Amino acid sequence: MTATTNDRSVPVKAGSSRGFRLPPAFWLIVPSVLFLALFFVFPLLKLVAISLPDGSMEYYHQIFTTPVFLRVIGETFRVSLIVTVVTVAIAYPYAYAMAHGGRAMLLVLTIALLIPFWVSLLLRSFSWIVLLQNSGLVNDFLIATGLIDRPLRLIRTPMGVIIGMVHILLPYAVLPLYTVMKKIDLRLMEASSICGASWLRGFARIYFPLSLPGVMASAILAFTLALGFYITPALLGSPRDMMIAQMIAGQFNEQLNFGLGAALAVVLMVLTAVAFGLFGAVRAALQLRGRRKEEA
Amino acid sequence: MDKLRRILFWLVVTLTALFLLLPTLIIVPMSFTTTTTLEFPPVGFTLEWYGKVIGASDWQGALLNSLVIAFAASVLATVIGTAAALALHTHRFPGKTIVMGLLLSPMVTPVIVLAVGMYMVFSGWGLVATRLGLVLAHTVLAIPFVVVSVLASSRMVNPSLAPASLGLGAGHWFTFRRVTLPLIMPGVLSGAVFAFITSWDEVVIALFLADAQTRTVPIMIWNQVRTNLDPATAAVAAILIVLSALGVLLSYKFRESR
Repeated sequence: MTATTNDRSVPVKAGSSRGFRLPPAFWLIVPSVLFLALFFVFPLLKLVAISLPDGSMEYYHQIFTTPVFLRVIGETFRVSLIVTVVTVAIAYPYAYAMAHGGRAMLLVLTIALLIPFWVSLLLRSFSWIVLLQNSGLVNDFLIATGLIDRPLRLIRTPMGVIIGMVHILLPYAVLPLYTVMKKIDLRLMEASSICGASWLRGFARIYFPLSLPGVMASAILAFTLALGFYITPALLGSPRDMMIAQMIAGQFNEQLNFGLGAALAVVLMVLTAVAFGLFGAVRAALQLRGRRKEEA
Repeated sequence: MDKLRRILFWLVVTLTALFLLLPTLIIVPMSFTTTTTLEFPPVGFTLEWYGKVIGASDWQGALLNSLVIAFAASVLATVIGTAAALALHTHRFPGKTIVMGLLLSPMVTPVIVLAVGMYMVFSGWGLVATRLGLVLAHTVLAIPFVVVSVLASSRMVNPSLAPASLGLGAGHWFTFRRVTLPLIMPGVLSGAVFAFITSWDEVVIALFLADAQTRTVPIMIWNQVRTNLDPATAAVAAILIVLSALGVLLSYKFRESR
């Protein structure tokens, strides 16, 4: 200890201004920026370059005029939208129970939410194949209860993809909803009921509008993530209802049309960036509103 | 009316919780079935499938690849990410928001886009079908998790301790090693665990970068699931789930050890 102290008689200033202008922060940040520039940004730029051979937009033209590609992009939007609506609809009561159901309930529901979060996407899709196949647990259950008399086709259909995707996105959708809901004062609902409003009216006029920021945030997050799904639709869906990620993989693996594949990848990247930008904008707007409320 | 609504509400919540848990819970029991097809509920009890997996040389090879790649990616991401998080936490510098955005963006980029981009670039650099290529790719994916984890634990550290150490005459390296690092250790370790799991579970990039010699466990599972579903796959899945669970417990333990 003494040796180190003696090394520098005029400590702080001497260390930081001895000749070099660059602060230590620079040297700490350089490896990460260089690494990501080389192995993350460069591959993305490379895709942009491959998608524009000699500056020609032909691949993009092809994507936006060929029915096959338009159908895949449309299907991606359709599935992502359905998945988002279902996910948020299920996440809403769940987050409500977490926010207002007491400590024990919060613990149980949080554990139920986090356990699947920690099992890889691949394994969960695998598990859904087993559950949804013709002789699977879901069909057995439906037949046993007499709801259906022949097994439903659930895998290799859009239904299977939707079930698998909702399952994976649910934790992402619940968390933003819960964050907003736990700040809502339930006494507002009591007040509305004392004033003679029915529960439904109180919910529609007071609780739901207050929870709306959470709904927006979780919907945009779920939608953004849904756009890029590859494993779940590849395992649970049929090639007929392909999503854009599968199409990209196909161009690189099977068609070997790298230019077109790169252009599709750039389209997906831009769509995701736009959706995520929206997410950021909603959050920023919320923070602004929160701050204004504090000032008022 | 009020009661009916309450019953309905709890029914929906309970069913949602079941929906969340079901797929994870069925995997482990399924791996003990004595049938040759995947059945739930399982029939009988056997460890045969575990023996089959552990004895097979292709699974052994994949396991070794997965371990080596995940370990290397985890170390690399932890070193790079911790340094970046420290800089972001303790210093103000121009372009900080942009750097922060760059560090976190691998988390929100669709993996398939990264996979094809890396495939194109890495094939030019001779990194396709090498473990090094997979390590570098997985490090990119893991850096954001380390940065987030280390930043979270730096925020809980008393900010005057490092300046105090410097003020008492210790150098930057000494201060880092003896003051800052021990304080943020829980964040560093849990970031390392996150990074390990990220690589360990990753399949999309590996599908593009790995060949038969460098393929990882998720690739083996992917191939199995796409060709024949047998209980051996469930046995592998069960092993992976137990390992992930251990990792998660470990990372929580690191967090709590403060």
